[in-house]
Amino acid sequence: MGLTEDRERFREVGEERREDLAEFISHGDLGGSGPDRVRIPVKIVDLPEFEYDRREAGGVGQGGDGQPQPGQPVEPEPGGDEEGDPGEEGGEHEYYEMDPEEFARELDEALGLDLEPKGKRVVEEVEGDFTDTARAGPRGTLDVDEFFKRGLKRHLATDFDEEYVREGLFVAGADVDDVFAWARGEGVPVSRAWIADAAATAAEAHGEPVEALDRWESFDALDDEVDREPATHRIRREGLDSVPFRREDERFRHPEVIEKRERNVVVVNVRDASGSMRETKRELVERVFTPMDWYLTGKYDAAEFRYVVHDAEAWEVDREEFFGIQSGGGTKISSAYELVEELLEEYPYSEWNRYVFAAGDSENAGSDTTDSVIPLMESIDANLHAYVETQPGGAAPNARHADEVEDALGDADDVAVARVSEPDDVTDAIYEILSTEGEGSGDSTAGEAARGRTDGGGGR
Amino acid sequence: MRDERVEAKREADALDEPAAEARELAERLGLEPYPVRYWVVDHDEMNELIAYGGFQRRYPHWRWGMNYEQQRKKDRHGLGKAFEIVNNDDPSHAFLQESNSPADQKAVITHVEAHADFFANNRWFGLYADRGEDGPNAAARLERNADRIAAIADRPDVDRDEVERLIDAVSALEDTIDQHSPVDAARSVEKPGVADDVSDPDGDALAAIQDRIDELDLSEEVRRDVFDDEWLEARGEGIEPEEPRPDVLAFLRDYGKRYDPDSGKAVDREPWETTIIDALREEAYYFAGQKQTKVMNEGWATYWESVMMGGEGFAGPDEFLTYADHMSRVLGSPGLNPYKLGFELWTHVELRAARRDVIDKLLRVEGVTPENFHSRIDLDRVADALEPHPAIAGAGPATLDELADLAAEGDPRVDGEAVDRALSARSEEESAGDDGETAPDAGPDVERYPWKLLTREGLAERHYVLSRPEHRGALRNVSRETLAERARYMFDVDRYATVDEALADADRAAGWDRMLEIRESHNDVTFIDAFLTDEFVRERNYFTYEYSRATERHRVASVDADDVRKKLLLRFTNFGKPTIVVLDGNFRNRGELLLGHRYNGISLDEESAKATLERVFELWGRPVNLATIRVEYSDEAIRRAKRRGTEPEGEEVGVRLQYDGGEVTEHDLDPAIRERIEADEVDYDTKPDDWLA
Repeated sequence: MGLTEDRERFREVGEERREDLAEFISHGDLGGSGPDRVRIPVKIVDLPEFEYDRREAGGVGQGGDGQPQPGQPVEPEPGGDEEGDPGEEGGEHEYYEMDPEEFARELDEALGLDLEPKGKRVVEEVEGDFTDTARAGPRGTLDVDEFFKRGLKRHLATDFDEEYVREGLFVAGADVDDVFAWARGEGVPVSRAWIADAAATAAEAHGEPVEALDRWESFDALDDEVDREPATHRIRREGLDSVPFRREDERFRHPEVIEKRERNVVVVNVRDASGSMRETKRELVERVFTPMDWYLTGKYDAAEFRYVVHDAEAWEVDREEFFGIQSGGGTKISSAYELVEELLEEYPYSEWNRYVFAAGDSENAGSDTTDSVIPLMESIDANLHAYVETQPGGAAPNARHADEVEDALGDADDVAVARVSEPDDVTDAIYEILSTEGEGSGDSTAGEAARGRTDGGGGR
Repeated sequence: MRDERVEAKREADALDEPAAEARELAERLGLEPYPVRYWVVDHDEMNELIAYGGFQRRYPHWRWGMNYEQQRKKDRHGLGKAFEIVNNDDPSHAFLQESNSPADQKAVITHVEAHADFFANNRWFGLYADRGEDGPNAAARLERNADRIAAIADRPDVDRDEVERLIDAVSALEDTIDQHSPVDAARSVEKPGVADDVSDPDGDALAAIQDRIDELDLSEEVRRDVFDDEWLEARGEGIEPEEPRPDVLAFLRDYGKRYDPDSGKAVDREPWETTIIDALREEAYYFAGQKQTKVMNEGWATYWESVMMGGEGFAGPDEFLTYADHMSRVLGSPGLNPYKLGFELWTHVELRAARRDVIDKLLRVEGVTPENFHSRIDLDRVADALEPHPAIAGAGPATLDELADLAAEGDPRVDGEAVDRALSARSEEESAGDDGETAPDAGPDVERYPWKLLTREGLAERHYVLSRPEHRGALRNVSRETLAERARYMFDVDRYATVDEALADADRAAGWDRMLEIRESHNDVTFIDAFLTDEFVRERNYFTYEYSRATERHRVASVDADDVRKKLLLRFTNFGKPTIVVLDGNFRNRGELLLGHRYNGISLDEESAKATLERVFELWGRPVNLATIRVEYSDEAIRRAKRRGTEPEGEEVGVRLQYDGGEVTEHDLDPAIRERIEADEVDYDTKPDDWLA
């Protein structure tokens, strides 16, 4: 169908013309997007045409009840609600929309990141294929193939070339014990009792004891002359008359238990809202945090976000408020980490990936950083602790929080410190933070394995 | 998948009957639609059809993909479920959404029948349909273009991206045609086939036209009449036209070249490029008819839909509520809504024509003058007298006998034959009632379709506008001036002795007759210009708004009918786009193209103008220029205006934009050129002087 191609081509055209991702993050309008929908302004998608300046052109409206008074403010007509009508479209910007998954992929590509999220919480145990076996189970699940194979193996293991062993009895001077020793030496799975039986039968047939039957001078002479026929050949030649089935060969199939682990994440965004956090600083925080939120939403199956702001005290807010709040108070960063610790109790580290992102201008009260914040950062388990210093115009001499954290924890692989002084630093900061993630707690391998299964299980 | 198709088929079968009945009703109402083929499609197919402008196949281009995505978004968010799409063709093809309720389907069918009537009878559609082919032939034509362009794009010697660039460029200019003379469109489009890919060897446009006229094999007479020397001269005045040429696309087609980046020079186009330009240009002419009559056409369809569905109960009583809801959603969507504007204008046309007819009759009653009209004539009695005959109004099984009596008297309002059949069916049923057998000829289903008993005249009386409750006051509201105006040119006054005698002569079909005439000859611009009356604007609360630079927001500017009309005309004239013409194809004697924006007081959106100019370059191959005028407001003027609470005075400055493949540059505009593009007599500004006071 031609339209499929047209749509693909449109997507390509849109992609060509959308804002470069890094450009968008640093300077673009983040406000058009929601948590589930990243809207990147597209330079021009539709074709241009000669058209009127919309302001110069004005327009016509229809009053609901009564004629409005000249001079009364009105909203010009919103973009058209019917297709193809002249002048109806064009008021709105065009956007290239991507979901967080695509955003995460694109950001990986743009910044060279490769964050591999880990599955953590077991969301369900499902029955996989009937690939595991047990020694007991309902008859219906008896693995007949396996049962037969085991029986056959046993048969092969116990079967031997009877003629060959009997020949041993005709070696000069050999008694039952000699033959047994020889046969065992040759690796023939024969019992002494069987040889004794065979000897008795032979003695009866020939009328003299086996020691007296001399067909072969010695066992060596016998070996030279007579080839032992392997059991497999014989079975092939003679067919399989019976396979000795035994109880212990029974295997019952049962489904494999697969733990589905969800790649789930909780992100706590922490922001200093004290009086020193002016608009430019707040905007820088938004530019760093928002793309990271999208990124993690896109990377994980389930993402939860908590937002904490603080001055000398900390409190939790909604996302809508988070980037805008400015309070008047002083600053005590540890208050926020205390609240974070409390919030994270809901998200046990064994079941959740945790990220704690804090941002501020590095100002902190007295020795709060070394006395309280650093110990808290160490004690709160998380895949990653990050601190983003937003200080337009570079570091201030007495704002030391970022430095102190870096000095104390800079070597830890689960702590990142980034500094942003202007929008152009934003992508570097995001890279710094998202490329730092530590290995977290030790169960990452289990998570990987489980993910392999769940990913593959979609086709059934 | 198969189940769905079966479902759709079943749905389509169920529509056969309503479709046939709607057709019969439409014809009985006086409409003459093209035949319509109905298709039932699922919502995804519907989105595709909408993306393709109502057709199943179009040439490959990403814009269709864009349309599709937009429509799908609307569809998904419930913002714009499309009930149907119908294309202008003979036969028309109407695609109905599978998920429509039965009431919706019926409403949509009545709507579609009216569209098909409009397609078949409107002159502006006719311009294309009568261009030389047998009817519009649209689906076949677009499909042929789709195949040809796809084949070109597949050619190993043709770069796909080049094809796309070319389509982009032509599409950006699709409205810069001379939509009033599509005959011209046929000129450059040759017979489909390989021949199209061969360009004129000598490149002499005039000779080529002459050749093509010869090919048409016309009689000498016709040729002299139609393609006279003057016509030829107009076509052939070549690269430096005396008069501005409105068909920019044709000019670019005839004289344009292609810029070759390797040599840095303009080179002749490949034949396939001309083929594509011709194909797209012709499609632009096809769609121009639609674009020029959107308000009329949608209003027309909505009007007849309401007559058939509401007035004639085409929806069963159980379906009526769904229908009413559907209608109110269509008409209730906010903003300036072409359905609503058109519907209201048509009703207004009908009302005015009917009222004029009655007034004319009443003014001819002995002793009645414009001065004593309101006092001499008891308008309540007039209203009562204009009520339809009870048997006509209540036509149906219950009034069969009465209708039969009327028919016996030869009443033109009654379909005597249908009444006879209904009567005999009834009596057979009564006699058959004893043995329980059904009558072999059930007669017309007058229970469900009572209109079958009436002629157009009868239906006109049944739906007479002046007897509708909402219009009963229309005669009372008529002003003395209007009456005097009518009376001034009236002869043969005092024809009637009494009011009743005069009213007996009233033509109930006057409104519908007038509507049929207008749907033949008008387009949106002339329609609005002629019928958007003071009364209309006042009663429907229309107003204009303008942007106030002093307060930096839009404000209501005027409620004056002239102003509203002016603004609406701006919006519908030339597709609501500025008029761009070719002024010179050898500008500055350097082979540059000079386009002119015919300035009517509204300046261009410069961003898009510059971007479009870059597309023009693609089709010209040499530097291109656009002469325009813009309004500049000095900071000082704005400051002063804000202080005084007035609007700043802008200064109109002539500008020439030039694009030569690098950057768009700005130059002063030669005053002589400025004179050529400036229109003094029009003014679309509706801001009052004391606006912000």
